[in-house]
Amino acid sequence: MAPVQAGSHGYDYDLVVIGGGSGGLAAAKEAVSLGKKVAVLDFVDPSPRGTTWGLGGTCVNVGCIPKKLFHQAALLGESLHDAACFGWNIPERKSITLDWPKLRESVQNHIKSVNWVLRVELRDKKVEYINARGSLIDAHTVHAKLKNGTERELKTDHVLLAMGGRPIYPDIPGALENCITSDDIFSLPEAPGKTLVIGAGYIGLECAGFLNEFGMDATVMVRSTVLRGFDQQMAGLITEEMKSRGVKFLHKTVPVRMEKQADGKIKVTWKSVENNSESSDLFDTVLMATGRRPLTLEVKADQVGVKLHPDSKKVVCDRELTNIPNIFAVGDILEGKPELTPVAIQAGKLLAQRLYNNGKIEMDYDNVATTVFTPLEYGCCGLSEEEAIRRHGEDNIEVYHAFYKPTEFFVPQRSPARCYMKVVCLRAAPQKILGMHYIGPQGGEVIQGYAAAIKMGLTMEALMDTVGIHPTVSEEFTRLWITKRSGIDPTPQSCCS
Amino acid sequence: MFVTKFVRHGLFANAIRETSDVCKLLPRRLASTAPQVEVFHVQDTKDFDERVKNSKVPVIVDFFATWCNPCRMLTPRIESVIAERKGEVILAKVDIDEHTDLALDYDIGSVPVLIAMKNGKVEDKLIGLQDTDKLRKFVDKVVKSK
Repeated sequence: MAPVQAGSHGYDYDLVVIGGGSGGLAAAKEAVSLGKKVAVLDFVDPSPRGTTWGLGGTCVNVGCIPKKLFHQAALLGESLHDAACFGWNIPERKSITLDWPKLRESVQNHIKSVNWVLRVELRDKKVEYINARGSLIDAHTVHAKLKNGTERELKTDHVLLAMGGRPIYPDIPGALENCITSDDIFSLPEAPGKTLVIGAGYIGLECAGFLNEFGMDATVMVRSTVLRGFDQQMAGLITEEMKSRGVKFLHKTVPVRMEKQADGKIKVTWKSVENNSESSDLFDTVLMATGRRPLTLEVKADQVGVKLHPDSKKVVCDRELTNIPNIFAVGDILEGKPELTPVAIQAGKLLAQRLYNNGKIEMDYDNVATTVFTPLEYGCCGLSEEEAIRRHGEDNIEVYHAFYKPTEFFVPQRSPARCYMKVVCLRAAPQKILGMHYIGPQGGEVIQGYAAAIKMGLTMEALMDTVGIHPTVSEEFTRLWITKRSGIDPTPQSCCS
Repeated sequence: MFVTKFVRHGLFANAIRETSDVCKLLPRRLASTAPQVEVFHVQDTKDFDERVKNSKVPVIVDFFATWCNPCRMLTPRIESVIAERKGEVILAKVDIDEHTDLALDYDIGSVPVLIAMKNGKVEDKLIGLQDTDKLRKFVDKVVKSK
């Protein structure tokens, strides 16, 4: 096959993508399939702990993929204990332990295989891959500093910013020297032991969740809100569930300093945000999960005039187009958009279609389903109850809810106390659904299909008219009938009636 | 993907256990029967040029990955077949993560891949895990070809 020539605009490339993560790779592959000449620049700065990784971005290397596998390891541990109740001869609970180095190796091997497959895909699709740190010189010139020190300038018609983000280290004495982040946790050579997780967003909760299931002492430090941005009733239930499993929570507290002890432990001092009183404890590992920042300044986006949000430094974008007509952006660097891999992929593909194939479809950032992979999962799609009320007014909203008992919980006598779901809809018939929320086993699997239904305009009438699959957890959505407004007790009275 | 298909299979899990024992024994056996080095790990592109492309005898190049279980299972089989030829053919091992460009140059996708090279030219290629008979035929072919 003859090498692809760039279009007649006079630049060497049609598109240069900075960032080889989900969004950047999706856009690059789509553009190449439409006959464009594309280069992808990818570079990973080592974390403060020295962790580095290969092609594919956060999701593949230090995000969704290792997280889901560690979560799976946690679920398997739980299933082993259940299994005894179902007749399997299982050794004493105490003798079942997790081999952390083995888990780490298996997960890292999987990641390496994905890195390789992605690399081969780029070759096969004829995307030029450059393992280099990219930065903008001007709107049409990307500077590439290769790993071996050589430098290149790439002249391009379009630029796609897709650098993603990295965890933040707050300016606290000892934090940078002593803390790890989600960049490091999945490749730690040894088990983290007694761990303090600072931050109660989904990353913090998921990490604390699997560590606790692995039998480690896990504490979550919460400044103000657990799972900010999510439905707060559901966030409260997730917190209760994690507490019941043994995770400790330090509410309304912030870290003050961290000091390494002679024995290698880290002394963390924190204070109450309510009365400033200080406390401290020793931990083997401190995991910082207080947020992520976009890598926009690293590529000098501000210096070529790309409009960034003054606080978050994220790109202010409309339909993935920045304020500069040939510079585009997708993924976690977008201001006010969900930081989710499938969102970045979809936005990247659609953008390439619009740029190079007269595509007309725009990315729909609403009603994107997501799941928090805590041991008991929380899947949701659409608006939280608070947000629905804020937009439509309490009088115009109906909330159907229920606690339910998964069939598989009875035999091992697992507590269904936090197995709960609710549907937030408009009050007027046919009660268009605005949001669905589910806590229970397989949250991601349960909510995905409903997301498609919501996209098609699902109503409560249609949902009630749907016949469930028995016995599943997802069918509970079709059995909802109690509204919050009615005041009827939403806890289940019997099993199958 | 080829790699994962095999790893998850229960049957192969046993095979891995079996072959890992063979792995441990193999270096000793090789050292005692072979006067010259029959197996080596390629260090870089220059090393590949010198010891593979410019080799006087045919070379089987084994492109492998440390994360690939079928690769691990192939190792003792191909090494024993190479040992049988007593220096008529040598084995060069290329870690695709360490030498990605080299692997991509030779169009490696799924691993393991064996490439038979003679006088710097690719004569044959074998993708995936193979049994010993098939490996023997593959090696014989390149040794006997003119």
